[in-house]
Amino acid sequence: MSEQQSLKQQVTLLELVDRVLNKGVVVSGDITLSVADVDLVYVGLRVLLSSVATLEEPRERISTAGAAP
Amino acid sequence: MIPPAATLSRNSLGWYLYGIAAADDASAPLGARLAAGAEQEVELVAEGPLVGVASRVSLAEFDEQALPERLSDATWLEQKIRTHEHVLERVLEDASVVPCRFCTVYRDEVELRRFLSERRETLQAALDRVRGKVEVGVKAFIDRDRFAAGQARQNDEIRQLETRVSTAEGGRAYLERRRLEQLVASALGDFRGEVAERIQTRLLPAAEDGHALPLQAPELSGREEEMVFNGAYLVTADRGGFEAALASLAREIRDDGVDLELTGPWPAYNFVPEELGAA
Repeated sequence: MSEQQSLKQQVTLLELVDRVLNKGVVVSGDITLSVADVDLVYVGLRVLLSSVATLEEPRERISTAGAAP
Repeated sequence: MIPPAATLSRNSLGWYLYGIAAADDASAPLGARLAAGAEQEVELVAEGPLVGVASRVSLAEFDEQALPERLSDATWLEQKIRTHEHVLERVLEDASVVPCRFCTVYRDEVELRRFLSERRETLQAALDRVRGKVEVGVKAFIDRDRFAAGQARQNDEIRQLETRVSTAEGGRAYLERRRLEQLVASALGDFRGEVAERIQTRLLPAAEDGHALPLQAPELSGREEEMVFNGAYLVTADRGGFEAALASLAREIRDDGVDLELTGPWPAYNFVPEELGAA
């Protein structure tokens, strides 16, 4: 995740992280990572993204609904 | 030469489960589409009426022992997160899917099949809820200058103050300007408190379901404007009715300085049960 990465990708990645790592069903059975492990990754990535995002200027939109007047 | 046991287990394969679909929904075109997908070979593991959308992965790569290293490897994480989403989006083009949490990796196929079989009813209920539907995200951002301008149109006291500020001089101008700022800030506080309900009132009737999500801080939202609403909606896959309601709301709320941002379609991450509970 380089600092040169466009903010558009940053925003999309944040949306992704908030869904893929924070939502979705937690299964049962013999799995390799517990939900607590994934939560750790989530928290770490959130911090990482916010520190990268503060370096990014100018900001850019992904899409604006109903932009027409 | 026989490798030591530790090496054997490090090289063994597990199953990364992206999500669960219905066997009668996940038809031939889905299998073909997934097979055509480049970055990762995806297989449909059929168990009764359900299929697990899964890939064989190296356990050494996904084991908890490898976690500290992976956690610090942002490139690896981003690639895996994007793969997870890409696979589910390809499924979503042809079938409904219950998405799994990131890095759901079974140590073997027997365990994966046992899960699909033991949790059949819960999974089917979850699938029924999202069948033919997708998730979309709606965020609202407020532009303070445009909000103030909108208030000046709607609020007599603010409009009169603005006029006085533009003509006053010296200390009086300063006091009037402070008073104007306070009035706008107070109006903004009221607006913040009611905007979520206003948006929900308009969008929920056009959706199957919807949740307000935590607001994102400016350094994370990607916009300088303050986020005043963050929501996820479960909508029919064609999204027609919802997008019409959204466009109508966007035109109306724009006068208050609010821009709406639409994301998706997403697999219904926010509309599946978080915990399936013990079998």
